[in-house]
Amino acid sequence: MPAMQPSARLERATVALEDRVILRAIDLEVAPGITVLRGPNGAGKTTALRALAGLLPLLRGAREVAGELLYLGHRPQLLHGLSVRENLAFFMAFRGRGGDAAAAIARWGLAADADRPVERLSVGQRRRAALARLDAEPCDVIVLDEPFAELDQEGVGLVREALNAAVARGAAVLIASHAHPEIDRDAVRVYSIHDGALAGA
Amino acid sequence: MITTAPPRALTVRIRPVLGLASVAAATIATAMALLWAPPDAVQGEVQRIMYVHVPAAWTAYLAFVVVFLGSVGWLWSRRLAFDAVAVASAEVGVLFTGLALVAGSIWAKPTWGVWWTWEPRLITTAIMFVMYVGYLLLRGLSPGIEQRATRSAVIGIVAVLNVPVVHLSVTWMNALHQLPTVLRPGGSPALDERMLATLLVGVLAFTLIYLWMVAKRATLELARSARVMEGLR
Amino acid sequence: MSARRAWLVAARELRADLRQPDGVVAAATFMAALILLQSIVVGPQVARESGVAPALYWIALLFAALVTALRSFDRELEDDALDAVLALPGGRDALYAGKVLALAGTLALVGLVGGLLAIAFLDLAIALPGHLGLATALGIVALPGIVVLDVALTLRLRARAALVPVLALPVLVPQLVAATSASAAALAGDASASLAWSALLLAIALVYAVLGLTIVPTAIE
Repeated sequence: MPAMQPSARLERATVALEDRVILRAIDLEVAPGITVLRGPNGAGKTTALRALAGLLPLLRGAREVAGELLYLGHRPQLLHGLSVRENLAFFMAFRGRGGDAAAAIARWGLAADADRPVERLSVGQRRRAALARLDAEPCDVIVLDEPFAELDQEGVGLVREALNAAVARGAAVLIASHAHPEIDRDAVRVYSIHDGALAGA
Repeated sequence: MITTAPPRALTVRIRPVLGLASVAAATIATAMALLWAPPDAVQGEVQRIMYVHVPAAWTAYLAFVVVFLGSVGWLWSRRLAFDAVAVASAEVGVLFTGLALVAGSIWAKPTWGVWWTWEPRLITTAIMFVMYVGYLLLRGLSPGIEQRATRSAVIGIVAVLNVPVVHLSVTWMNALHQLPTVLRPGGSPALDERMLATLLVGVLAFTLIYLWMVAKRATLELARSARVMEGLR
Repeated sequence: MSARRAWLVAARELRADLRQPDGVVAAATFMAALILLQSIVVGPQVARESGVAPALYWIALLFAALVTALRSFDRELEDDALDAVLALPGGRDALYAGKVLALAGTLALVGLVGGLLAIAFLDLAIALPGHLGLATALGIVALPGIVVLDVALTLRLRARAALVPVLALPVLVPQLVAATSASAAALAGDASASLAWSALLLAIALVYAVLGLTIVPTAIE
């Protein structure tokens, strides 16, 4: 079976939460490479990403994803009561495949704290642990909501490296961010969202 | 994708007919129940409340089945018409279940000497009442039309499947129970012919009233959700 | 639906509970307290009757189940970990099935503690211990499906803590009746009755398991 190019798209997607329209008939296409979604807070970035990740039902329109999808949300979204190592092991086992968790932990500077329960880690460490999933779960489609939040300079560098590695193996990456304009330079496409409506460049 | 297609032609034309038919049937049934049917040999006049209690109970069960069908319909097709029918039927069902319980209680006091007894059918009906109320409470606390419809649908399906299971388990457990007067296995109910006829007319009347009320309520609900969906365009 | 993934979710739960057993300890204490309280109130003579003791036990276990299930999902809602699992392939199905398994596991522990306590406190005479064990095991397996269904359905709603019992209790009546009757028969020595009730319990568990797996995952958000 020929390998399909990774991609993800929302076609004329309308999403309503509690009877309020958040996204209005948006067309969002994520091709191999980096796609950036910009917009002020409250414009619907998180909703668009969650809809693309399959977490929200569409009122209208369609969602298509080719390839396995990794969604890293706004908050670290780690399983409490487990350590970093156990979290990564869980996710990898769930998918039935994965990268090198130990290497990922080392790379993201978590080796010293890898066996403590995640709720005892600092916010920055939890953010790194969540991002370590980029290495532990190599996926074709990657959706990131504000990946640079709560990170120091070194952390930001690590994210950029991980993204480059993902792009190098052909992944389609979507990043929502309201800062770090420099990532637009390497982007295949930059969307801007305002009040639930999308404009693409 | 969710579609909202109000079956206009159906409701606009049928409802007035249903309304008239209900009134007519109710009038006839009342007359038969109060005047034509003979008083019971043992219980006397008080037995006439059976003509409210039994049809109300039957209609309540019917309503519950319709909730089930509406729930399945919504999950299957995502058409809000199904959800509207489900909630309408649930509301009317609560009403009729409550009525059946109250009428049964009023009937029980002079005949059995107690307001309530732990008899399988009564228990099942009481539990059914609580399940309906839970269904409506869940809807009341659920924001978002589609999410509310989906949540209710799950409960609607589970609840109706629970009714026979409850009845079975409670019947097994209960040593004393009386066979239902109309559905006695072997065919002929142990009722006077005129009583039976009155009962059946009563069931018909209640069913018509049920259909009329559900049609009204469902149309209202559908119009409401259509307005909300329009607002989401 | 992958059994492997469901097991991962359940294993995660059990591991977290082993590390922080305060939830399980609270549930077990709750159960013990309920049994104690009920026995005091109805009087130990009445409580040790073969028809009464099982009722006290199963009602207590039922409430322990509700408390545990609510807490189990609360843990997921912290930090939005729920989204992480739902976004995984097969996440929804595994979440429901896994939580049901995990709850059954916790109830087994809590049920064992509560059961031993009840037997000791009330000086219960058990005619058929094997049958009692079977009835208890099947009852523990039959409760979680509905409880998890109702908790999952009301995840982000207000008044959840009050709504879940209203939704769950009526639907758990058959399980409660069957488990109590099977246990009572085992205590009294009626083997065939105990087995018959246990069979009903198993049937109920299977029906709701299939139903739950079919319709609940799509309703989780």
